[in-house]
Amino acid sequence: MAVASPSQRATSQFLRRLRRSLPWYPFIIINAVVFLVFNLVPWISMFRYSVLKTDLLSTREFVGVAHFINMLTDAKLHKAMLNTAWFTLMYIPLLVAISLGVAVLVNRPLRGMKAFRAIYFLPNITSVAVLALIFRRFLSPRPDGPLNFLIGLVGIPPQRWLIDVYQAMPSIVGISLWEAFGYFMVIWLAGLQAIPNELYDAAKVDGANGWRLHRYVTIPLLRPTAAFIIVIATIGALQVFGSIFILTGGGPVNATTTVVYQIYNEAFNFGRFGYASALSILFFLIILLIALIQSRYLRFGEDVY
Amino acid sequence: MSVSETSSTSVEKPNPIRETIIYLLMAAVAITTVGPFLIMLSVSLTQNIRFITFPVELIPTPMTLENFQTLFARTDALRWLFNSVYVAVISTLGGVITSSMAGFAFARGDFWGKNVIFVLFLGILIMPDTALIVPQFVVLSQLGLVNTYTALIGPWFASIFGTFLLRQAYLSIPRDYDDAGTIDGANLWQNWWHVLMPQVVPTMATLAVLRFMGNWNSFFYPMIVTSKSDMRTLTVGLGTVARSGGDAGLDMAGAVLGFLPTLLVFILMQRYIIRGISLSGVKG
Repeated sequence: MAVASPSQRATSQFLRRLRRSLPWYPFIIINAVVFLVFNLVPWISMFRYSVLKTDLLSTREFVGVAHFINMLTDAKLHKAMLNTAWFTLMYIPLLVAISLGVAVLVNRPLRGMKAFRAIYFLPNITSVAVLALIFRRFLSPRPDGPLNFLIGLVGIPPQRWLIDVYQAMPSIVGISLWEAFGYFMVIWLAGLQAIPNELYDAAKVDGANGWRLHRYVTIPLLRPTAAFIIVIATIGALQVFGSIFILTGGGPVNATTTVVYQIYNEAFNFGRFGYASALSILFFLIILLIALIQSRYLRFGEDVY
Repeated sequence: MSVSETSSTSVEKPNPIRETIIYLLMAAVAITTVGPFLIMLSVSLTQNIRFITFPVELIPTPMTLENFQTLFARTDALRWLFNSVYVAVISTLGGVITSSMAGFAFARGDFWGKNVIFVLFLGILIMPDTALIVPQFVVLSQLGLVNTYTALIGPWFASIFGTFLLRQAYLSIPRDYDDAGTIDGANLWQNWWHVLMPQVVPTMATLAVLRFMGNWNSFFYPMIVTSKSDMRTLTVGLGTVARSGGDAGLDMAGAVLGFLPTLLVFILMQRYIIRGISLSGVKG
């Protein structure tokens, strides 16, 4: 009997491996096709279009890295980046403080607590369209508009809210906070409740009480939750779009034009799909960079004990 | 809301004054979240209301459904509602089943490219979806898929987050179950469907609710891939209503129509939503 040659052995091993593998592919084929069509191909096309000047219809011209050079002098883009930073810097600290405050408030074995938590979560289940329909009316600049009436009760004169250059972005921040705090409250609650009671007992035995209990047990043990919330919320904040699109259209005078809104503008209002693709790459890199820096600085994903 | 009943912050002795203050604070926060919805409802039932002016009449007299009739007559709201239900249901079912299949394969499978594909999926997961909107539109318009259900449903027909979630669920099941199934003569599909999947149904339900809500409320992508009114989803359609500057009654009727379905799902499936968030912290 002939001894199988190394290549024959390799072939039979290959066939065995193939036979073992084949039955599994049908399980992932739909996933693979969806990601190919809706993610991988767009990914590649993003890079391909970033070096073209095209409106998808008639013009199509290779421009090399011109788009990326133009970004350096694109005043509208710079304004949009500042606006996005402004939004994020207002939004994140307030969101963290409010959602944590509310979580601490409802993290008690009191009657009706579950109902309160559910009620606080309500804004989060609404779509941005519903949100916009409601708040466009609530932030009406009329003196008898809901919010102007309410601030009038404490003696503040009527404001112009969404149609005021300086108030538009803070208004969007307020609406976003209203929508999101219940969601992050739930994450804080999960973090709070993951702290074992024994740690508090141990700290008390060691003589800690009141504030010091929180200083040395609650706060350090919530760090992973805080890191998670800050990273996730920042990635979300940088991408703010829907409420701005519906409520202000980027205005007044570009006061609420964010990076995503500007990308939308370039592509769908000016038909500059090449430049918009290049901006998408820039935007992706910015988000990635910020998320990486935050993760590192906040020691995201590390255990505390 | 069912994160858990117990509290871990400080063991408090009952103190009536303290408790009252806490309840007052909680009620104040509750008014800010529920108040707008109550006013939305009452204005939607008010006749001829152009603006919302305070103080508002919470129970309107006479109460009327005129605003809803106007909404259905003047816009494609019924069609949008149908589109949203259709797209959300198919997207949810599709996404949950494919996640379950792929999760099973990544948990139990031994096939070529498993690790490469897994890492590739992870890479896609970190891509912020808004950065991909323009290229997605470019590709879809080249494929002639703008204004189709395929475009609306397609990206939702698979979920990387769901695949990871289900993979974890399958990994927590002991291998003995697979072996028992195999000994009884089950093939991979039968093992997946009859032996393992029944044990991850709660995870699939959690995923289903998150996906449904996420799809129903999504705005940017469905807005981009639809330009015809009759292909819009409710969320996108209501966005155009909000921008069109009708009267307040019409706007609030639209808001009620958009809000009720999600409220219904929330009331019925609350514990799955909360579980999903605390489990992952990531939206569907």
